[in-house]
Amino acid sequence: MASITLEKLVKRYDKVEAVHGIDLEIADGEFVVLVGPSGCGKSTTLRMIAGLEEISGGELRIGDEIVNERAPKQRNIAMVFQNYAIYPHMTVRENIGFGLYTSSLSKDEKNARIEETGRILGLTDYLDRRPAALSGGQRQRVAIGRAMVRNPSAFLFDEPLSNLDAQLRAQMRIEIKKLHQDLKTTTVYVTHDQIEAMTMADRIVVMKDGYILQTGTPVDLYENPADVFTARFIGTPSMNMIPMAALAGKAGLPDHDPDILVGVRPHDLIVNAPKEGAILTISGQVEACEPLGPETMVHMRVDGEPVIATLPGNVAPPVGSIVECSVETGKLYLFDAKTEKGLGRK
Amino acid sequence: MPSTVQTSKGAAQGRPEGGGFTDRFSMRTKRLFWVWTFLALPVLFYSVIRFYPTIDAFRLSLTDWNLMNKPKFIGFENYAKLFSDPKFWQVFRNTFAYLILGTPISLLISFTVAFALDRIRFGHSFIRALYFLPFLTTAAAMAWVWRWFYQPAPIGVINDLLSSFGLMQQPFLRSTSQALPSIMVTAIWAGLGFQIIIFMAGLRAIPSTFYEAARIDGLGEWAILKKITLPLLKPTTIFLVVMSSIGFLRIFDQVYNMTTNDPGGPLGSTKPLVLMIYQSAFSSYQMGYAAAQTVVLFLILLAISLLQLWILRDKK
Repeated sequence: MASITLEKLVKRYDKVEAVHGIDLEIADGEFVVLVGPSGCGKSTTLRMIAGLEEISGGELRIGDEIVNERAPKQRNIAMVFQNYAIYPHMTVRENIGFGLYTSSLSKDEKNARIEETGRILGLTDYLDRRPAALSGGQRQRVAIGRAMVRNPSAFLFDEPLSNLDAQLRAQMRIEIKKLHQDLKTTTVYVTHDQIEAMTMADRIVVMKDGYILQTGTPVDLYENPADVFTARFIGTPSMNMIPMAALAGKAGLPDHDPDILVGVRPHDLIVNAPKEGAILTISGQVEACEPLGPETMVHMRVDGEPVIATLPGNVAPPVGSIVECSVETGKLYLFDAKTEKGLGRK
Repeated sequence: MPSTVQTSKGAAQGRPEGGGFTDRFSMRTKRLFWVWTFLALPVLFYSVIRFYPTIDAFRLSLTDWNLMNKPKFIGFENYAKLFSDPKFWQVFRNTFAYLILGTPISLLISFTVAFALDRIRFGHSFIRALYFLPFLTTAAAMAWVWRWFYQPAPIGVINDLLSSFGLMQQPFLRSTSQALPSIMVTAIWAGLGFQIIIFMAGLRAIPSTFYEAARIDGLGEWAILKKITLPLLKPTTIFLVVMSSIGFLRIFDQVYNMTTNDPGGPLGSTKPLVLMIYQSAFSSYQMGYAAAQTVVLFLILLAISLLQLWILRDKK
């Protein structure tokens, strides 16, 4: 096990800079999720840590050692890929054993390790099957097994759940999280799915266009987003962003600066809520409703701006009707409209 | 889905119906009508041009037909004559020499080239085109160019080169021991382009994460080649082994064009089975005898192909 330190890490492809000197410290045993839209540099960063991409500038340390020029195998890390990268011509046992290819263990010790790994991942009954005879979730478990069997100093996951269906994804999320709680191996996990980031991470790193926008615990990012991008990226449905101008004159709002964006999470904007203690009450025309069971998401338009609000329960207001919704004090996020930086909460 | 297979009666699912020419017939009948309308011509063509003569060869091999007389049934006399003919056994040895040396050498070279070519970007298409060019060229034209290469100095390029280095000139096509390898080289070279293209397609189909995962697991280049690349290329390799073997067993153009003065010479040392068939049929007009030889060639091709498929099958 080891810590991973990125210092001014840069990746350049010819003239294009994909990662612009990012700094990040990952503590020993920490589960860090790099999250961001495609092309934000998260996979490139992970591949630089793995040694699959050359580092164009800056320093990468695993433990106390600078590993910029080390080959992947010398870094003692293990990686799990989106398409599993398990070999179709080998059995599950051989695939998992592949992680021990260069190990100096005896055959019996290797076998014991493989059996143990298979047991932890619930693959004991499948050890002699070929990957073709496994489901997507089982294949991904084999890939994780191959990574685990070696006791690496860090796990790297590159969007490992993107090829699975929604139900399996939810299940594997928990499995990977449990696995990390048991093994306590330093983990760097790349995903574009903010739910994966929120549910699994000790710490989330939000990336965009090759920069780190914000680093923090899931709750921290949810409660105190540093900018408009993070605010909208974390949490689903995305935070409503309403220009202050559209809210001018609305009761309860403290100031009316036109250069301010007001953010409200759909879950904080409650339809037909009592107005006492509300900092903002707005009304809008209903455009569509999405009943989810315990609550209904109401899509509406306020002064031409699309806004999503929540209606507790199952009774959807008719489309075209005007509804009123309000936000409690402390649930408004203010952002500078020009720099998109956060200005705190009201 | 066995049930859908049952109802479609040979027509593939999800194909266009071909328009409603009448509403009297069911969709399935209409679909079958169109399918068989389009298939009729090629089926007829293949039956008359390909399958009938092939099957008729078996009948002819049991007759003494010589183009002039009516074919007379003589039982297995042609086969008996063939197997007791020392010339046939020489041809048999030659044919297998082409096969046993040609196939592995050509596959080894084409894999090496494809493997290297797969890793370079600079001039990739140009080099690939260069390798593919011989495949597009007429075998006869190539054979004549190579024949010129093999001439004695100062005409032949190879001997010219040898003597300029002070090495002995080689007889090549005029020697009973060197003629067969000399011809084989041209055949290997001619087939290389095709094999390289197929190997490269196979290599491209292996996901790059397979290699990356192996690198992270600490495998060296050689181990990756042995453990990942070659096993995953197996279907491609089987295809090429079978194709290439069939090609070498049927070798004719190169031999005939490079030894026109004495086809298959010198002293029959380069003569393959197909050339022997050609000579029996169109020089000696022994059609029945030639037919017996084609049947033997057919059985050899069948046996070799089945053997290869069996050896290279997926072991479960």
